[in-house]
Amino acid sequence: MSSKLATLAEAVASIPDGAHVALSGFAITRCNMAFARELIRQGKRGLTISQCVGAMDADLLAGAGVIRRIIYGGGSLDRFGRLNCVNRGIEEGTLAAEEYSSLSVAFRYLAGALGIPFIPIRSLRGSDILERLHKTAPQDIAFVDDPFSGEKWLVLKPLHPDVAVVQVQVADEEGNAWIFGPRWDNEEQVRASARTIVITERLVSTEMIRRNPELTRIPGFRVSHVVHLPFSAHPTSVYQAYDYDADYIREYAQMTQTREGVQAYLDKYVYGVKDHWEYLERVGGLERLSKLIADPVLGY
Amino acid sequence: MVEGERGQMQAQQGYTFFELMAVAGARELKDGEVVGVGIGLPVVASFLAKRTHAPNLTILFELGVVDPEPIHTGVGLADPRVWYRAKIMSSFVDALGTVLHRGVMDVGFLGGLEIDMYGNLNTTLLGDPNGAFRHFVGSGGANDLASSARRTIIIIRHEARKLKQAVSFITSPGYLRGAGQREAAGLAGGPSRVITDKAIFDFEPESKRMRLLSIHPGTTLEEVLAEMSFQPILPDHVPFTEPPTPEEVRLIREEIDPEGIYSGR
Repeated sequence: MSSKLATLAEAVASIPDGAHVALSGFAITRCNMAFARELIRQGKRGLTISQCVGAMDADLLAGAGVIRRIIYGGGSLDRFGRLNCVNRGIEEGTLAAEEYSSLSVAFRYLAGALGIPFIPIRSLRGSDILERLHKTAPQDIAFVDDPFSGEKWLVLKPLHPDVAVVQVQVADEEGNAWIFGPRWDNEEQVRASARTIVITERLVSTEMIRRNPELTRIPGFRVSHVVHLPFSAHPTSVYQAYDYDADYIREYAQMTQTREGVQAYLDKYVYGVKDHWEYLERVGGLERLSKLIADPVLGY
Repeated sequence: MVEGERGQMQAQQGYTFFELMAVAGARELKDGEVVGVGIGLPVVASFLAKRTHAPNLTILFELGVVDPEPIHTGVGLADPRVWYRAKIMSSFVDALGTVLHRGVMDVGFLGGLEIDMYGNLNTTLLGDPNGAFRHFVGSGGANDLASSARRTIIIIRHEARKLKQAVSFITSPGYLRGAGQREAAGLAGGPSRVITDKAIFDFEPESKRMRLLSIHPGTTLEEVLAEMSFQPILPDHVPFTEPPTPEEVRLIREEIDPEGIYSGR
């Protein structure tokens, strides 16, 4: 298979305005941060973002006005704080939020991955989450009778994102990728999506992949672009690669409390740098990043 | 009671109210059970149970982490510190799908912004959902646990603004509006205990309303009721909660939460 190696700018340019993008981040880990910063720099608009748990990547995109709609199961920056930009968008009505539980979103990806028309789930019933979905996403929920038992079930429509963007530790140039640590919704996201962009910390030969094929979580034949970009999840963590950068997440949580703060953050870390390499210099360069490198026993 | 007085009382008793809550949570877990937990006190409670009376407990995090043995305190489920030495690292579909939705999760351990007398939990928003409100974390796996676990245990601060007549938003269903409603909605299980820093409650089997089960040592019935926006069912006899043993306190302080992040030291 031929190489799918691309620059971050090329991979981002392949995403049209208004596309539905599934992101691999979970709160403050394996977030598509460099990808989000480049989406903002390229001036993309009107995206729909989906993920099981809202994360820092989606929040930055919401703050920059890149996304119109979010399909998610709630989320936070863990103890660093709330998703200020997503929450503000919901509170002020500027962001269309279709809010589920985490498993509901995972099941919608699973149904999408399997090519089945709907998926029954026991979650959401009796809750105000479901009440709200009747208003925000009536086309995606229904009740049906189980043809075998006659029992009434809530069913959800599959998700079929236009593209999944997944931050991984290891990939080859075909896009066969290894994800170390828990994978939350990533494998179902990839299989539900029309195509996948892999952003990898480390690029290895296909021979290396062939030696450990049981580790392959993302099938290369579903991948359109492979971007080799170390520290591309900074300031979030990548298990077995590097720890989160607490000072920078704290600064983000602080600055994003106001719209003015969001603009100042974007000016400093997104518009104020020309690319990922300049961003890494802005946050302290190799001297700082080397201190984040994971201990191989601990994984962080 | 002002915070300073509470602090003194805690010092006399040899444990904090957070530690008491964690110990009370631990004692609800039985050996051999499978428990799904978020971060915070439920994690302390689960690890404590596993190191004392329930060595065969299986602890599961929603994102697909099973039976970790952390040696550093994490900032949340996304922190690899809390995944350390796990036996399994998989996915939502594996952990919440094939375990919880499959019906083999014994206990879901939940917290929240608000709870009402039927055990309905809110982690989504405060204010008027159709007017001005402030949006918070939402569900994550909490609604899934509340819907499908065989039972849920809730840990929440004992404050009138949290123990509400009606919650602003039902994120995770308890018994909804009372008897028969959970079954009618097609939900499994239901809340079994509510553990606060003043008392422990269960749910009266007929009405499904919250019922006072025990009061923590050093607290009075008046104090318990003063900080609730609804009246729980009051049995004729309400015992004091069994306090933590010195060994339980030692385990929390020295091994499970040495930095005191969850136990409030």
